Amino acid sequence: MIAIIDYGLGNIKAFANVYKRLNIPHTFATTREQLEGASKIILPGVGAFDHAMSMLNNSGLRDTLDSLVLEQKIPVLGICVGMQMMANSSEEGEMSGLGWIPGTVKKFSHSDPVVKEKCPLPHMGWNNIVIEKEDSLFNDLDEEQRFYFLHSYFFECDEKENCLATADYGFQYSCVVRRDNVYGIQCHPEKSHHNGVAFLKNFATN
Amino acid sequence: MRAFQICTRCVMDTTDSKIKFDESGVCDHCRSYDKDTLPNWHTDERGRKELEKTIVKIKKDGEGRDFDCIIGMSGGADSSYLLHVAVKELGLRPLVFHVDGGWNSQIAVNNISVMIEKLGLDLYTEVINWEEMKDFQLSYFKAGLPNTDIPQDHAFVATLYNFAAKYKIKYILNGGNFSTECVRNPMEWLYYGTDMAQINDVIKKFGTIPLKTYPFSSILRHKIYLRYIVGVEVVKPLNFFPYIKAEAMKFLEQEYNWQPYPQKHFESRFTRFYEAYWLPQKFGYDTRKVQFSSLILTGQMTRDEAIEKLIQPAMSEDDARQEFEYVATKLGITTAEFKGYFDAPNKTYKDYKNNETMFVWGAKIMKLLGIERAIKR
Amino acid sequence: MLYPRIIPVLLVKDKGLVKTVKFKDPKYVGDPLNAVRIFNEKEADELSVIDIDATAQGREPDYQMIENLASECRMPLCYGGGIKTVEQAKRILSLGVEKIALSSAVLERPELISEIAEQVGRQSVVVVLDVAKKFFSTKYECYTHNGKKNSKLCPLEFAQLAGRLGAGELVINSIDNDGCMKGYDLALIREIKSLVAIPVTALGGAGSYEDIKSLIMQESIIGAAAGSLFVFKGKYKAVLISYPTKIEKSNIIAAAQQ
Repeated sequence: MIAIIDYGLGNIKAFANVYKRLNIPHTFATTREQLEGASKIILPGVGAFDHAMSMLNNSGLRDTLDSLVLEQKIPVLGICVGMQMMANSSEEGEMSGLGWIPGTVKKFSHSDPVVKEKCPLPHMGWNNIVIEKEDSLFNDLDEEQRFYFLHSYFFECDEKENCLATADYGFQYSCVVRRDNVYGIQCHPEKSHHNGVAFLKNFATN
Repeated sequence: MRAFQICTRCVMDTTDSKIKFDESGVCDHCRSYDKDTLPNWHTDERGRKELEKTIVKIKKDGEGRDFDCIIGMSGGADSSYLLHVAVKELGLRPLVFHVDGGWNSQIAVNNISVMIEKLGLDLYTEVINWEEMKDFQLSYFKAGLPNTDIPQDHAFVATLYNFAAKYKIKYILNGGNFSTECVRNPMEWLYYGTDMAQINDVIKKFGTIPLKTYPFSSILRHKIYLRYIVGVEVVKPLNFFPYIKAEAMKFLEQEYNWQPYPQKHFESRFTRFYEAYWLPQKFGYDTRKVQFSSLILTGQMTRDEAIEKLIQPAMSEDDARQEFEYVATKLGITTAEFKGYFDAPNKTYKDYKNNETMFVWGAKIMKLLGIERAIKR
Repeated sequence: MLYPRIIPVLLVKDKGLVKTVKFKDPKYVGDPLNAVRIFNEKEADELSVIDIDATAQGREPDYQMIENLASECRMPLCYGGGIKTVEQAKRILSLGVEKIALSSAVLERPELISEIAEQVGRQSVVVVLDVAKKFFSTKYECYTHNGKKNSKLCPLEFAQLAGRLGAGELVINSIDNDGCMKGYDLALIREIKSLVAIPVTALGGAGSYEDIKSLIMQESIIGAAAGSLFVFKGKYKAVLISYPTKIEKSNIIAAAQQ
């Protein structure tokens, strides 16, 4: 059973729709009990970093989530701000992140005026990802791996080996990260047509 | 109850309760094909000449007009191939029109679009008001009748005739053909879609909103008034030369970037669900048997192939689950309510008012006059 | 690289889809749900659904409809129409929508942009400006209530204000070009684009892929939105949903980048 964490943020319905179409068992987790039996966890998220962190911290799920991810090594996939929360901290806020993947979340800032004009914020739309490190998450994707992005901050890994894929928005930045059982993706696979579906299927079944 | 029996030549069986078998186990569909269809079906030089005469007449009558004929286009194989033939081989100038009943598939819109573009034709579309269509379709589900596709079918036929009348077009070309349709759906499976007595009864009992814009046309109007008084003529060109469906589809793919369908009538999402799931699962009627039997009789499929295919359900379980929910949502009801209609007792056209007698006599007269070949029964 | 977005815009009226010309004469073009399904299969970049009755009739958004559309929609979805409060915005986003579009409510009270952005994040806040020039005037003004009320606000100024207050995207909808299928108002888009640092989407006027090409050629990173282009076909404006195929889309983008 895949648990989609429901702490009031993120388009949780979209994940459920994808898994429903794939006929993969899934549930929304709003309580510890619902979370405990999970074999995989999806951590969605949108909006401001601190807002998302405090929503998660106040959801009553935080301890269970920490123990599932860090002790029981249950695979978890953070999406968008859900991924950013896995860092140690963010320039967007004051609060500490989950600290599951060493790194900092930074705001895009392009000093070159030409680049700046080409890169309005938020980074909104379809962009290609470039795979830096093979992973079963990328099985069955198109040759041109196009995904939907919608964000103004990006994840900067402390350790290069945690970066699985990058995207180009003025410069190359990490858009898919992994450390052991902890995965994160900056773009929105739940709204990225067949590539996104393949990605979410890989996470669920591999 | 009658013991199960399947025809030794085609794949029609006793799920068609009125089916008759002769001593060698061949069914009446096959016999009717031999006796009524074959002798009147000429795909050789003779057919070609016959068609040529009609085409000359169509062109002559169409002189000085924007269009010389009208073709209803669903995006399916028959209508797409007909359109190609009409323009490229027969040199006609058709008004192409499409009725949007609210269930177009991506394949349907793609196919219409690519054909129109490549042939340089202009398209007309009539969009049926969805709130009315929805209520009408729901009425049929509530009525427990097998032919839930009447609201779509009827709209297609009525709009076609209305268009022909409005633009004073005398010739309707349609993709109907013996090659893929020589075996017809039994009446108990799919009752006449133009029996206004039945339609009115169903609407009166189950409809919840007035159908103000939905296009109705009674059989009397389009088969008698329009044909014999106004003089609208229906021509089925695909009957006059060899029409091999698989080859036609391949040709369309190559020539037009046309997208093939997995099964006949799948251009409408509703019809797909209805023929591949609702009809076989609720009523035990599998329209593939009719389609395959036609292909067997016309040498486009072997009986073994057909039997092999019929073992598989027309729609996978996964697909059925998703489509069931989609159709319910689209009809504005819960899946529980929809399931209720699925589980409700099955009715037949005889459970509601109908003009069956008139239709049967009409068909007999048509056959006597040589207008219709095989009788639907 | 980031690709320009090509976005079908669907207008809802009395539960059905319509298409207008200069915001008038709504023509019925079918049922929204089936349209969403077709755009799914055509893999559209994004989809916008605007309920044009909600504000004009002063009623709440139709949450049931939004939920049905959102659960069917496999691409990013933006909903607009009748949103006046933070609560409404949050409720709509919780139904499975990515972005909400604001117009009349923020023209009346611009701070609403910040209030909503703080709660849901600026990436989900779209400000739509319906703009038109009065007869014999060269000055653009923002309209509301389907083009019936003139707010007298200048779109150039308001676009900048919206960006400062936390809008994540601006949609510039030309009333004069709506439904005419003769091309975008490129000059206006250029001007607005030069004033703001957030993504801009042009709407109103696209009649062919060539028009989209011209827009992308001018702006490179832009949202190219269209209504008529994706629902009508040919000179009789036959209703038939279309969307560029993968190859057509690459061609549009490649040609524009040369």
